[in-house]
Amino acid sequence: MRKLWHLRELSTVAILLIEILFFGWYLWPDGNRPHPFLNLPNALLILKYSSIYGIAAVGAAIVIISGGIDLAPGAVIALAGVVCGGLFVEAGWPLGAAMAAGLLMGVASGVLTSVLIVAVQLPPFIASLGVMGIARGAAFIITEGRYFDLSALLVGGWRPMGIPADWVAPIVMILLAVVFQILMTRFQWGRSVFAIGGNETAALFSGIAVGPVKTSVYVLSGLLAAVAGVVLAVVQGQGKADLATGYELDIIASAVVGGASLSGGRGSVMGAVLGTLIFGVLRNALPQIPGATFYDRLIVGLVVIVIVVADQLLLRRSSTS
Amino acid sequence: MTRSRYLALALLFTVGCGAGGAGCVIGCPGPPPRTEATTPRKMRFAIIPKALDIPVFNYAKLGAERAAREYGDVEVLWNAPASADQLKQKEILESYITQRVDGIAISSLNGEFLTDTINRAIDQGIPVTTWDSDAPSSKRIAFYGVDDRASGRIMGEQTIKLLNGKGKVAIITSLGATNLQNRLEGVKEGLAQAPGIQIVETYDIKEDIIRTAEIIATGTRRYPDLAAWISVGGWPVFTRNALDAVDPAKTKVISFDTVSPALDLLRANKVQVLLGQKYFGWGSESVRLLRDLKNGKKPASPIIDSGVDVVTKDNVDQYELQWKKMAGQ
Repeated sequence: MRKLWHLRELSTVAILLIEILFFGWYLWPDGNRPHPFLNLPNALLILKYSSIYGIAAVGAAIVIISGGIDLAPGAVIALAGVVCGGLFVEAGWPLGAAMAAGLLMGVASGVLTSVLIVAVQLPPFIASLGVMGIARGAAFIITEGRYFDLSALLVGGWRPMGIPADWVAPIVMILLAVVFQILMTRFQWGRSVFAIGGNETAALFSGIAVGPVKTSVYVLSGLLAAVAGVVLAVVQGQGKADLATGYELDIIASAVVGGASLSGGRGSVMGAVLGTLIFGVLRNALPQIPGATFYDRLIVGLVVIVIVVADQLLLRRSSTS
Repeated sequence: MTRSRYLALALLFTVGCGAGGAGCVIGCPGPPPRTEATTPRKMRFAIIPKALDIPVFNYAKLGAERAAREYGDVEVLWNAPASADQLKQKEILESYITQRVDGIAISSLNGEFLTDTINRAIDQGIPVTTWDSDAPSSKRIAFYGVDDRASGRIMGEQTIKLLNGKGKVAIITSLGATNLQNRLEGVKEGLAQAPGIQIVETYDIKEDIIRTAEIIATGTRRYPDLAAWISVGGWPVFTRNALDAVDPAKTKVISFDTVSPALDLLRANKVQVLLGQKYFGWGSESVRLLRDLKNGKKPASPIIDSGVDVVTKDNVDQYELQWKKMAGQ
């Protein structure tokens, strides 16, 4: 039991549960109204929209654990959606092939970022900032301000294997979270990522192939952002260059709230996904408090600061004692 | 390490209490809200603008809240993305559907993107109207706002009048929103009536007021013989310095929107023609339409043209007087 409580994800789950209980109580309806927050369609809604951040946050968490940062996910989400939409709608490609092309865009952007970081030795912040601009710019060049309307060709919505479209993004997010949680904790590759993030020089001297591992980390981050973009385009029915603008900061914040340390070597994929749900609940529930529209960003900011500052303070205390 | 996470839990709880506090500060009686069984239930109408950081929508909020107060049986739920974000706007719309509100009025950032969701609301029995920016392919019951193409044509005609039918003009727009696209096409149609007018550039300022100032400065330098700037949105007149680079003796400015400080800029001759929309009406008419729909009364036409006010230095004082009356100042 004690060991179970040491799982850091469990404390993130507890934060999420407290949040849900708080809003469940605060938003308790009057009279015979149904509860506006505690209902199944609303839970699915939170999952559906959080998944776009959540899928990319899996990659962001891995990058942060490795001691790096990736600012490109928002732009890669848009580029992958635009490429997928353009090839499907305008070039007449089959949906599967168009989706694969969208994913390849993510791989390409990840390769570019990793080359700039590993081979050119640019700081990750600068490298990914450049790739962010390139990806967003490419999306605008492809669309020229238009958008690709996938929904017009997906009459009746997209239902892969009979699964309703709204469920696809949450299912993909959960599957990816489980797979990468296992990869990060049970496999040599994952342990190498932690080691590089903890101390890159020590990792190098202990025989870890730092360059290839770091390359894999950024390629995966690009690929996972592209998965989010392709899912977004197909589920929401549009590929558009300005979608997901500024999402990179939300994605990074989710990973940090989920326990990832920006100095590297610490964090969890599952925590990052739970972090996106913490934000998803806040995004959904705060506007339901009458008149709170203008307060929700302030409260979201406070939540990030409170959780991370508390984490930092006690980390310092435990390392000195 | 793990202890730190538990402290975080406690602190989050504190923040949660802060959220409750915020609710109280802004007028909520406190958690959980309760009403007496005898109090008749108010109709809850969700009014969704494009974004919270666009100044003109504050007047729509005032209009909606005033209408709700006057009717007495309506509660306005006002929410939008902090800045223009189509996905977040769609999420907010879906959230109101799951909350089973009594009606929704939305200014669409991207009408086609919202079509399926609006249709779902209608299918679930929630009346949806649009305002300012339509979603024409959807099953929305009515649209209240300007005929964008017609108002664009008016801008074109006013430009021809100011320039005596000849000169180079540059247009400012923001790509993406359907209403702005229609307005842009209207401007081009209007200008086409004067063959002596040449459109040298159409700039996309991405709904960014700061970018507008930069584009106007660089565009003015790039085209020193520019006769007019036409803006299909109010970005150049939302701040006092966006038009600093423009010499009114050489270059005229025709802009949409009359929100402060636009009227001051008009008086200072920084801008020559403004087109005002029915900002308060976006909110008040949306509330009226939804209330009528809930009471079984459908509008005579699904398109309700609000019309535009053409404001120049000749009628600016009268316009401002009327504005202050509407804002209750």
